[in-house]
Amino acid sequence: MAEGSFEKKPRPILRPIFFLLLGLHALAVFLFTRGFLLTRTELSSYSHCHDLPSPNPSPSPPPPPPPPPTPRTPRDRDRDRDRDPPPPPRCWTRPAIDRLVVIVFDALRFDFVAPSTFFEEKKPWMDKLRVLHKLASDEGSSARIFKAIADPPTTSLQRLKGLTTGGLPTFIDVAHLGLILLLFMPPQLVKNGKRVLMMGDDTWMQLFPEHFEESHPYPSFNVKDLDTVDNGILEHLLPSLYKDDWDVLIAHFLGVDHAGHIFGVDSTPMIKKLEQYNSILESVVDVLKNLSRPGGLHENTYLIVMGDHGQTLNGDHGGGTAEEVETSLFAWSMRSPPSSISSVLEENMCKLNLDGEKLCVGTMQQLDFAVTMAALLGVPFPFGSIGRVNPELYALSAGTWDRQRTDAENCKLQSDLEAWMQNYANVLCINCWQVKRYIDLYSATSIIGFSADDLHFVTDLYERALANCSSNTKASCLFGTGVPKEIQDYSVSVLQSQIDAYSHFLESVAKLARSAWTEFDLLLMGIGLGILLLSIIIHILAATWVHILFQSYLKEQGIPGLSYRYFLAFLLVAIRAASFLSNSYILAEGRVANFLLGTTGIMNLWRSVEKGDLKKDEFAFLLLNVIIRFGIGFGLSKQTGGSSYLVSDSLKFVGINEGHLRWLVLEIFPIVFLSLLFVFLLKCIAHVDMSRYMKYFTIMGTVLSYVLIATHWASESILIFISPAFQGIGRNLAPRLVYAIGFGILGLSVLSRILDMKERMTVSERLTNSTVPMLSAWSPTILILLGKQGPFVAFVCIAGAWCIISSSKKFLSGTKSGTLGGLAVDPISVTQWSLLAVCLFYLTGHWCTFDGLRYGAAFIGFDHFNIIRQGILLSIDTFGVSHILPILGLPFIVALQYHDSKKGELKDAILLNLSQVFLIYGLITAITTTFTVLCATIQRRHLMIHLWGSNWRFKPVCTIQLKIQTSLYTFQVVHFSPK
Amino acid sequence: MGTARIGAAAASTLHSLCALGVAAAYFLAQRVCVLDLVAHPAQTLRLLLVIEAPITIGVYSWLRRDTHGCSVWKAIGRGLLALPVGAAINAFGAIVLGAPVGIKYWTVTAYWSLLMSLFTFVPAACAFGPSRMDWQRILSFSKLLDAVDYMISVPAYGAIIGAWIGAWPMPLDWERPWQEWPICVTYGAIAGYLTGMVASVVFIVALHRKVHAKGE
Repeated sequence: MAEGSFEKKPRPILRPIFFLLLGLHALAVFLFTRGFLLTRTELSSYSHCHDLPSPNPSPSPPPPPPPPPTPRTPRDRDRDRDRDPPPPPRCWTRPAIDRLVVIVFDALRFDFVAPSTFFEEKKPWMDKLRVLHKLASDEGSSARIFKAIADPPTTSLQRLKGLTTGGLPTFIDVAHLGLILLLFMPPQLVKNGKRVLMMGDDTWMQLFPEHFEESHPYPSFNVKDLDTVDNGILEHLLPSLYKDDWDVLIAHFLGVDHAGHIFGVDSTPMIKKLEQYNSILESVVDVLKNLSRPGGLHENTYLIVMGDHGQTLNGDHGGGTAEEVETSLFAWSMRSPPSSISSVLEENMCKLNLDGEKLCVGTMQQLDFAVTMAALLGVPFPFGSIGRVNPELYALSAGTWDRQRTDAENCKLQSDLEAWMQNYANVLCINCWQVKRYIDLYSATSIIGFSADDLHFVTDLYERALANCSSNTKASCLFGTGVPKEIQDYSVSVLQSQIDAYSHFLESVAKLARSAWTEFDLLLMGIGLGILLLSIIIHILAATWVHILFQSYLKEQGIPGLSYRYFLAFLLVAIRAASFLSNSYILAEGRVANFLLGTTGIMNLWRSVEKGDLKKDEFAFLLLNVIIRFGIGFGLSKQTGGSSYLVSDSLKFVGINEGHLRWLVLEIFPIVFLSLLFVFLLKCIAHVDMSRYMKYFTIMGTVLSYVLIATHWASESILIFISPAFQGIGRNLAPRLVYAIGFGILGLSVLSRILDMKERMTVSERLTNSTVPMLSAWSPTILILLGKQGPFVAFVCIAGAWCIISSSKKFLSGTKSGTLGGLAVDPISVTQWSLLAVCLFYLTGHWCTFDGLRYGAAFIGFDHFNIIRQGILLSIDTFGVSHILPILGLPFIVALQYHDSKKGELKDAILLNLSQVFLIYGLITAITTTFTVLCATIQRRHLMIHLWGSNWRFKPVCTIQLKIQTSLYTFQVVHFSPK
Repeated sequence: MGTARIGAAAASTLHSLCALGVAAAYFLAQRVCVLDLVAHPAQTLRLLLVIEAPITIGVYSWLRRDTHGCSVWKAIGRGLLALPVGAAINAFGAIVLGAPVGIKYWTVTAYWSLLMSLFTFVPAACAFGPSRMDWQRILSFSKLLDAVDYMISVPAYGAIIGAWIGAWPMPLDWERPWQEWPICVTYGAIAGYLTGMVASVVFIVALHRKVHAKGE
């Protein structure tokens, strides 16, 4: 291509290309997220006793939903808890049981519990829990085995959430900033004066860190360890049964799950585990029986033995196959209900057990567990539950057959069955009201609610059920008081039809929720993926085109080893992209990026040794890599929790007192690093040659921001005593001022670039000039959001960038390609830049799950929640050091390369170079995004492995946002790059 | 001893001597000492090291470049000296790439890096000594001159690349004992080393063909 045509061409054509790419990415991301992320907003509300509408005679129109929840800071929550009045003796439902014992066996398959006669073939692992068979088949006993069907994903964490909320798993839990956990049963129980005793799996502690009266958690991480958790529980379980200081006891055994993971279902350890459980259950049953005499400790206790999910024969779980979702539930009430219970219990799945006795098995949805237990215990139903009070499980408790006093006065003639049905209908009525309230509030507040048709359908069903209710029961539905005389006329059939109407409504809602919350729109996802692929092709074409232009500009052929480096860069990116296809690698993404970064460092070092000119930079880069690596390891250990003991232990070993260390790390280091960073930045700005006013503003702004950051930290310091007034200023005013200053500098720099163009400057100078104010505008905000690790991370960032630039410079200047030597893009350094960005993301203590968001950062400078404001702060914190800063700093790769090489006048060449750098960077992120999206599509059903669920969900969001930002900044920087 | 004398046959003999050393050590560990790399990584690596070190140092000292100015004993001494130095460099590389550090791991890391040093540094140190030119030449693949260069360089490359590739199963959640550091990496390194030996013989044959073609 001729030189003349070249000089005019690139700019007008390049800009549309960037616009096109931006548009394509935005479209692809929009379509894919619409198809994939079935957003469900978690509502942070409790149900309260006094939520129930007052007993006025007209149950319809339905009671107005409570005002939308205002998300609160933890402090507010504490205040609330203190302020709440003690619960009234009777709440939504009449307590039917006094105490509840829940024994959870992790990964309990249905065929572990049900007798082998229910299956075609008897397998070695069947019929081990004989004690349950015996209880369930005893005539007149109030025990029953259920097949409980769980909703996928069948992982412990997700299932425990499901069991305790009665809700469906979400694909992204867009929670109101960490308040997710408020919905659950344990808090609900605690608020209503029940004392909960927990033992076993520490997953419970992750969910409910402070809600247990007493807890004995044991780590669930080591799957090789079959016995620690179980033995730990055994130590506490039986003694606790003799105590009266709890109302709900939860014991979560992990042995079966671990045995399955390691040995599979058909193995001796598994059978031994099951036999051990049988003996444990026998002793528990003995204790309960002995203490269940009238007036005894367990007179009215309800025992539940259940699994949270099933497992395949290989011991895997997580997916939605029948083996994984079918688990079992065994319920036994100490007080036997009257004999008319038999008409409530379904008899369609009955077989003889091994001893020739008749044994029936019921079927239930695990979704219904939470609300049924709430109804039995007499606490308000969990706010977000969409389950139905299960009739069989509910009827097993004798307490539900007790006639209410008012009823007893009015309806002496009622049979047991009628009374029970009346009671059950009342409970269902409350249940319907609660579900409807949730649905209404949900559709009112969430971003993507139900479709209007669906809502209309649900409302219609609800009103029909209520109409039934009002025509039959008048006001008796919600409150048992003031029952009119007509109640005596009720026949069983009327009650039955009413119950059916309620059940129909509840089942429809559950069905609707399942389809709306767990289905994917494959077409949209496919189109999004296709567009992403298209954008990659355009990326590659554009990059090649720029490369060809560049070659023609260079005239003489190339730089030796460049194609080799392109190949290596491509290989690294391909490895990284392919690693997204496995969940394990996604968990280890930080380490993988670090590994690849280290590989590039070693290759550069190798090259230097080969050439014989070794520089300190390369060693420094490797050392930096080691530092990053330990930083990431530390972040990961924070994630898994519990390792803080390890750290402090090792420190004690070295002889450092923890208090001293804390003091040193939290107070002194950040300030030292901050001042160093400050000096460095000032020097940088001082070197930049920009207009006087701009420079003045930038320096002033930077000085002020850093002083404010220091003030903010000082105000939180525990070392210095500070007056409360100052503390107030430091806490909230200082961060806000920092944000404002950042915004101001950003605006000014844009303005000055539009207004004031100095033609006398060289291109590379101008490039630096446009980049430095950008960085100085963003960095204080990001620093203050990152907290005290900020300055240190910034140093790592600067050092890494410096090493990358210097090695790229060396590579290019080492080539002897005539006059224009050094005018090329080193693909390895761009790859290194992007890998460094990934490492920094993990180094700053983020990880790709929603739990990994640093919610605290969103409240720096603000006490109250505002979805837009806090959302912006949170995304700046999440993407700041890993995306915003690296992308804004990318022009330095080009600019500094020419800084001292006196080639500043090669205007178009530099511009081409810059475009090339951005195209390659964009290509790298586009490839990784595409692979993430691809694997999210493939794996959408089998989303999780043990415990680590949200990775799969968050990862796409994470990279997708990255993608958007990359495109945005690419556009921005190119747009504002020198004219 | 002129390097021109080393033909493909001699090279393959010497290589098979080294390979036999590895195989013998492995056999010994498995059958005689009842050691397993997975169960007892430190002991097995130590056994490999003890058997392989004399063979490698002997072979490459015999192949030393400067036969007149440097006795075999001096070459052996250089090899012994290079062993810990190379191990330190290898260990540093491994830690940069994410090898675990900790009291639990340092013995295996030490043995592993000594073994890697035996595959990579010791041959070059025995053959070339401190000659900077030679070292720079064997680092760059395109500049290799003669059979000895290939014999030293290609297996070393093989061992390093093999170890690098051998690291890939480590993050997987298969819960298999061989995923532990440094077991799969050692397997990868040994596999790469053996492949490199075969490749170097092929290269030497090709080199000789070329030389012959030029000569005629």
